Parts: sequence; structure tokens; C-alpha cells
Amino acid sequence: MSPVIYLDHAATTPLSALAWAAMEPFLREHFGNASEPHAAGRAARVGLEAARARVALTLGCADQDVVFTGGGTEADNLAVLGRLRDGGRVVASAIEHPAVLEPLRAYGGEVAAVPVTADGVVDLDAVDALVRPGDALCCVMQANNVTGAIQPVAEVAAICAERGVPLHVDAVQAAAGIDVRVLPGPVTLAIAAHKLGGPKGVGVLAGTGIGSLAATVRGGGQERGLRPGTENVAGAVALAAALAARQGADAGAERIRRAALRDRLESACGLPGVSRAAPRLPGHALLLAPVRGDLVAHQLDALGICVAAGAACASGSAEPSHVLAAMGIDAPVARGAVRVTLGPETTDEDVAALAAALPDVLAALGRAVASVA
Amino acid sequence: MIDLGRAGAVGRPDGEGRAGGGACDDRIRFTIGLEGDRLAQVRFGADACPAATGAAAWLAAAAEGVHLLDAARLGTAAAKAGCGVPAARAACVAVAVDALHGALADAVLRGARAVRRVAAVAVAMSGGVDSAVALAEAGQDAVGLTLALWIDPAGPDTDRACCAPSSVRRARDLCHERGLPHLAFDLRDAFRAAVVAPFVAGYEAGETPNPCVTCNGSFRLRELLELADRLGSSRLVTGHYARIEERGGVPLIARGTDHLKDQSYMLATVTPAVSARLVFPLGERTKVETRARATALGLAAATARESQEACFLGGADYRDFLARHGVAARPGPIEDEQGRVLGAHDGVAGFTPGQRRGVGVSADEPLYVLHTDVARAAVVVAPRRRLDRRRVALRDVAMHVERRSVEAKLRYRSPAVTAIVEGDGAERTLVLAAPIAGVAPGQTAALYDHGAIVGSGQIA
Repeated sequence: MSPVIYLDHAATTPLSALAWAAMEPFLREHFGNASEPHAAGRAARVGLEAARARVALTLGCADQDVVFTGGGTEADNLAVLGRLRDGGRVVASAIEHPAVLEPLRAYGGEVAAVPVTADGVVDLDAVDALVRPGDALCCVMQANNVTGAIQPVAEVAAICAERGVPLHVDAVQAAAGIDVRVLPGPVTLAIAAHKLGGPKGVGVLAGTGIGSLAATVRGGGQERGLRPGTENVAGAVALAAALAARQGADAGAERIRRAALRDRLESACGLPGVSRAAPRLPGHALLLAPVRGDLVAHQLDALGICVAAGAACASGSAEPSHVLAAMGIDAPVARGAVRVTLGPETTDEDVAALAAALPDVLAALGRAVASVA
Repeated sequence: MIDLGRAGAVGRPDGEGRAGGGACDDRIRFTIGLEGDRLAQVRFGADACPAATGAAAWLAAAAEGVHLLDAARLGTAAAKAGCGVPAARAACVAVAVDALHGALADAVLRGARAVRRVAAVAVAMSGGVDSAVALAEAGQDAVGLTLALWIDPAGPDTDRACCAPSSVRRARDLCHERGLPHLAFDLRDAFRAAVVAPFVAGYEAGETPNPCVTCNGSFRLRELLELADRLGSSRLVTGHYARIEERGGVPLIARGTDHLKDQSYMLATVTPAVSARLVFPLGERTKVETRARATALGLAAATARESQEACFLGGADYRDFLARHGVAARPGPIEDEQGRVLGAHDGVAGFTPGQRRGVGVSADEPLYVLHTDVARAAVVVAPRRRLDRRRVALRDVAMHVERRSVEAKLRYRSPAVTAIVEGDGAERTLVLAAPIAGVAPGQTAALYDHGAIVGSGQIA
């Protein structure tokens, strides 16, 4: 089999050479437990605190406002459930990731949903109308993982800060392709390393809002008591390196290249898509095929091309994506969603191979669908 | 890669099957073209998840070019293994199997016949333990047949799984586990007309119909034999607890050895022409023995729940069912034999002669339903001794072997009593040696001679 053409970077990314180089010493010689005062522990502690400082510098916050977690989902859960210990009303966008929506559902208190436009962008007027002084929390992601649409989090942060409402920004998808900064006010921001060329199983929750969170997991004082357990030093170091690479001064040219490649792919495929009129993550496309997206992904997979079915839910039922539903896209149309997301290593040839394979795949599947009627 | 080479439809197909469209939103269609009893062309359409679509493509390739009976051997397990579907997606694969089997059954209903190769026996499969054991005894030259019958969709215990009723799939899987072909026929409309409609009409007329007797006698076994003919099967095996006995060369339905489980009454109106082709491997077994045998055979159905009520009620109370099917609950008076009103009831269809439950009027001695007067919606009650009948008028009498002296069984769960059959023709009278209480018009009188049913009639 020829090498796989990997076009699903929104799901996860390969470990970058730079992240691997940064973390490897902490898996081997500096393996110590960062909480131990001996030499091995101290060496690990140095690495962990350097990683924390690097993340803080990248995100524009104080070192103490960076907590390493076991991933993006864990960071989101901490930001939501750690905030709502004393109850209160929540305002959350209708297109949040399940890592935010499901803790909110489990919370069980009042949650007002902020609608989005047809392009999948949070309606700021609705945010303005819904967020009230005294609310316990507002949640708006920085970029959507299904559509790639970038959300006006700075404006949302201004509204929340003015009313004294804590804001949680899920930046897990955004950090791979746009500038991510800790915003003013009692804000928390979630990031996952594996979306950025880092390893799985490590994330960050950052922001001044961390100081007022309650612990949701217990068993130690690590990470300000908010993420007890022996620290994943190698993961933290790799995250810091990967994040810096994606957010640094050199990232701009690569983002422009990816966005242009994505635009060429969209025109070559000739399929409709979503959120095209909105600001989008570079390299992120959600195509709407005339047949089921999971079938398109399945057939492309057999041809050595990895893309995601954009609307399939984990249970495999035909329940449409809540994101596309919130945008007013009908379920039969949403079923055709195919998510193609490019990464720094994606080449022109990769995209050309997808564009070349699609017509035959769509034609054969179209014949199968037509024959059901 | 799903091979979509057989995506499409056969022009002027000999059989067509569809499945899906339930909660999972998978839809699969198969069309087949026959050359004799071989599937010359198999095409599929799919608007479904990869697992269901992949299974459909695999099934189309596996079925094309093979004998009808071999195509009927293709099931969920084979398709799952064939296209490497994870266990979690078995339900999706089953949708594709349903559609292919739908097309095969449709072809047989349209007149396709097994010619070059046939199945020696057909086994009537319900998915329950009895037919499962009957199948295991039927050997390797058998085909399983299941009739998908109508079930009230409003019933509480109705199988509303997304695609096909689970009992049909269970029966299919049982056959496929033994490497045997299986065909399931959708006879819902015919069943409704032949069995459900007379049931409703019987209650409307104030009678107490027995739909199971109607079904076995004039619907199910005949349909199965007709289908068995097309597959070349001369005999039909069923899991009934009954036997076949001959009287003067006439094959008759006879009591099963397990008197507690005996189902011969349910077969009372089966004609000798039908009986001649029936085989009851469980007739000399007890239910306990059958269960033990099922366990020994490793049959999943061994612990299956026993069905008791009429199948189409879907677990509903028959009075609720009647109310949903146009027989309005008609309240009326409860009277004694002199016409004195003793109380009131909320629906005349809820009463049958001999019944005590629901009468609910206080008197010096317990009162039972004597008869109902459906025209006035009146329930007439009387003390127990007034219910006794010695003469019972019968209509629709059929005697396979003429006998004057018989043992008459007037309900499924009542013992038989010695009786003399008076008169001849379709209307006769039973004179009972001992009185019976609660003789209900509409029920079947099964007339036995030393354990074999020599005739039957309907209580008028």
C-alpha cells in the first residue's frame, strides 16, 4: 500500500520533530517525578516550569495561570465543572464541542444557548442580550472543530469582562491555525497538544480565571491542586514547543500557504461547503457531498486518503451534527459533510490526489443511492 | 473499498427487497434476476452507512450466480465475516441481509421455484425454542420458512426495531447457524384479512373467537405448504406438540404425548390433505425434554419466552385491541335471567360465558356470565348451575372420519368430555355425557376419537 495521504489534521496531527526533540530527554534521562526534591526530581521540575513559562509567554499570561492537564477534554471539563460548584446560570454557544456541552448537561443547571449565523459564527447581539451580570459562566469556543469558523471571542470577552462574568474559551481547534491569546478578564482557555503537532494526553488550561476554580479531581497538590497526579513533564515540554511553533512569528507564512491550498482544493472539488463566507481556520474545509459523508470517507480511506465524515456522531447513528443543525442545515444535507483538514506537512500533491479521486467515488456512490429509490 | 460494481438495479427484476428506514436511517434495496432457480443477476442500491453498504455489496457479489437456496444461506454472520465489519455494526449488516432476503422471498412469492435442486423438507420457523429444536431434527436437506405476520403496531410489546421484526431475524440466524437456507415471507396483509378481520368480526357479533385455530386451520399451514411446494419440499416440519395418526388411511391430527402442552386443539380445523404433509418431531416429547434438547444443542432460543396470547395483539389486552379496531366498548346492563338489572359493565366484548371476573354484582351466591346479548349490550348472569349445557349446537362441521361417539373439547384449556354427535352435514348437535359450564359461541369444538381429531365445528 502506498503511504497514506493524511488530510484529517483537525482530528489529530503527527508528532512534530521539534516536539519529539523537546520531549525525548524527559522520557529518558530526566524521568524523575517533578514533586521529588532529589536531583532526578529537580531536573524534571526544571523542565516542567520551563514549559509552563514558555506556554505563558506564548499565550500572554502569568506562569501561575498555566495548568497542565491530561488533554483538551479534561481542560474543558475542569473549566466548566470547576466553575459551577456553586451553581448559577450559564450562557454557551450552540456549537461548543461535546467536551464543553456534556459537562454542562451533567451540571444540570440553567444553560442559555447562543445561536449562530448561517455561516456558523456566534451571534454577538445574542451574546450581548443573553449574558447578564451574576451569570456563573459563559462558554464560546475560538474556532469550531466541524466548520473551522473562527468565533469573535475578543468581543465576547469584552462583554463578559464588562459584566463580570467568567468566560471559558475552548481554543483546542483554534491553536493549530490562528493566534491564540489569553483574553482580559476572569478567562480560562483550553488547548490540546495533539492538535498542534504535540503528543496525545496533554493539554493546558490557562488564564486568570483559573484562580477561582474548584478542584474536580483529587489526590494531590500538583498543578495548583486542579490537576493532581504525577506531572506529564515530557508532554508539557512537547506542548510548549509545539504551541510556540504554531503561534510564533514563523507560523504566518505556513498559515497562508495552507489557506491557499485549501481554497484550491475547494475549487477543484466543485462541491458546496459551509462557513465559506466566515473567517475560517487555514487548511480547514467542510465539503457537502451529495451522498453520505461517512461513505465518501470510507471509500477514500480504501484509496489511501484519510478524511473525516464531518457529521457522523460517535454512536454511528444518523443523528446529524449539532453544529450543522445550529446553522440551519437540514439533516439530509448535513449527512453529506466531509471534513478535509490540512497540516503543515500537507503537499500540493496530496490535495491533487484527493481532487482526482473524488469524482469516481462520488459517481459510484451516487449510483448506489439512486438505486434505492 | 466497497465494490460498487453491482450498485444499480436489475431491469424487470424477478424479486425485489427493501429494508431499513428506521431509526438508523439506513436504506438498502436489492433486485434480482433469475435464470431458472439461479440468481443470474443481483444488484443493490444503498443510502446507508459504510457497514450496511459494504455488507450489501458483499452480499450482491456472494449471491450472484448461485442457486436460490444457496443465496438463502447467506446471513448476517457470513456478511460480517465477509466484509470485516466490527461487531458493533452487526445491526447495520442485518439491514442489508434483510433486503437481500426480502428479494429472495419476493421472487418465490412471484412464482420462482427450486427445480435443479430442492430442499426435501421445509421447517416452519417462529424463532422460538420449539421450532428451533424441530429444525435441528430436520437434517441437512431442509429449508427454514418464516411468515412475517401482522402485529398491532399500537401493542405495548410490539417489536419495533428499526428494520425487521426480531423474531424473523432470530429464525434466520438459527437456520444459518446450521448452514441451512431460510426464507421469510411478508404475509401481513393476507394474515390481517384471513385471521385478524374474523377475530374482530366475531367479537362484534358477540362471540368468543379463537384466532389461533383459524390461523392454523385456514391460513398459516396452507400458505407454508404452498411455499414449500415452490422449494420442492414435500413435507412441512413444525414444532407443534401434536402427532399424526391414521384412521382408515386418513391422516388425522392427534394429541401430543405431553398432555400439559398438547396443541392438537389449535390444529383442530386442519384438513387431512394438509395433515398428510405435516411432520411433528416434538409430538412425542415433553416441553421439558425440548428445552433440555435445545440447551444440549446450544440453541440460543432455549430460554426464549413462551408466547401465550394471540400473536397479533402485540401484548395488548384484547379489549384494548378491539377498541382500537373499531369495536367500541359498549357499556350496558348486567341482568339476571328474568331481565332484572343487577349492575352495569363498561363493555360487552369483555365478557364470555362462564366468566366470573368483572361481573362484580353482589348476590347470595356467586354469579357467572350465562350469555351476552350483543344487540342490547347486555350481560346476563346466573348462578353456576344454570351455566351447565348438555346440548351444544355446532356449525361449519367437518368430519374427516364419521364417528357418533367422540370426546369433545370445547376450549383450549378445558378437558374433553364424552359426547354423541347428532345429525349430519355442516350443522350438528353435540350431546354431552356430562354437563359443561361456559360454552362460548365462536369457540371451536374439537372432536377426538381416542386422541385423534376426527372432526371439528364451531360452537353456534
